Amino acid sequence: MRALVIDDSRAMRRIVTGILTGFGYEVRDAEHGRAALDVLDEGWLPDLATIDWNMPVMDGLQFVSAVRANPAWRSMTMMMVTSESEHTQIVRALAAGAHEYVIKPFTADAIRDKLALLGLLPQEVSL
Amino acid sequence: MTTTDTGARRRSGDVRPVITDLIDAATVEAIAAEAWVALVGEDEVLVPLPGELPVDIVSSWVDVVGPWTGSVVLTTARSTAEELSRALLRDTAPAVLDDEDVADAFGEIANVVGGNVKAALPGPSALSLPQVGNAPLVRNPADVCRLDLLWRGEPVAISVQGALPPLPGTTPTRKNEVS
Repeated sequence: MRALVIDDSRAMRRIVTGILTGFGYEVRDAEHGRAALDVLDEGWLPDLATIDWNMPVMDGLQFVSAVRANPAWRSMTMMMVTSESEHTQIVRALAAGAHEYVIKPFTADAIRDKLALLGLLPQEVSL
Repeated sequence: MTTTDTGARRRSGDVRPVITDLIDAATVEAIAAEAWVALVGEDEVLVPLPGELPVDIVSSWVDVVGPWTGSVVLTTARSTAEELSRALLRDTAPAVLDDEDVADAFGEIANVVGGNVKAALPGPSALSLPQVGNAPLVRNPADVCRLDLLWRGEPVAISVQGALPPLPGTTPTRKNEVS
């Protein structure tokens, strides 16, 4: 399976990439929503995108809306991974089209549990 | 009939909350402790004891703009910020951490702590991207919630501080002691 990790923090990209690689994902990353759209435009369509909210150039919510506007990208599951933890923000992201929401700080176990709920955890990874 | 403007109505309308009306130190400490365990490591604890910050310090912060406007600021020694960054990156850390790596990782810790502090405040509020450098000045000493902590024996200060000066007739401005 493929994942696209979108976060303006290089440290957070490394952490999330490390977790997903451990679950068997092939991972690419992008430092903001615009760069992530460029990856999709190349034709590299992931099964999963993890998306930070606050980023320069194009934020996570704008990215989610852009993906939802393109029927060719409908198969991609979008999981917000962000420090925006207010209920209203979670509702906004889900209403825009995100499938799941993980609040920073998170653990690898939290990511694994969310992926299992989404049916995106490779079978060889035990719960 | 003439009336005299005593200023009473204007002053009552100008009342705005200070941070200690909205969040207490225990809540900020709990948020920071959770962030530390998740980001820095499962066995990493913040001890609520004051330590003396050295001369060579660095701060990371995010701004919160909403019913309360201010910054959530982490300040520590540069060497401690580097150690924190290495702990956060764990086995993904490069052999040599450059300044950009440290700024990025230390900024992300402020982002996570600040985002969760924002969620505990009355909203809606907006959160800025993290910044790293010299801490913003304390504009109103009455609008500060500050924690002095130790991580691995090294001092770390967390300050949730208002961005606005005191209203006329209240506490005077002074410089931030940790900047």
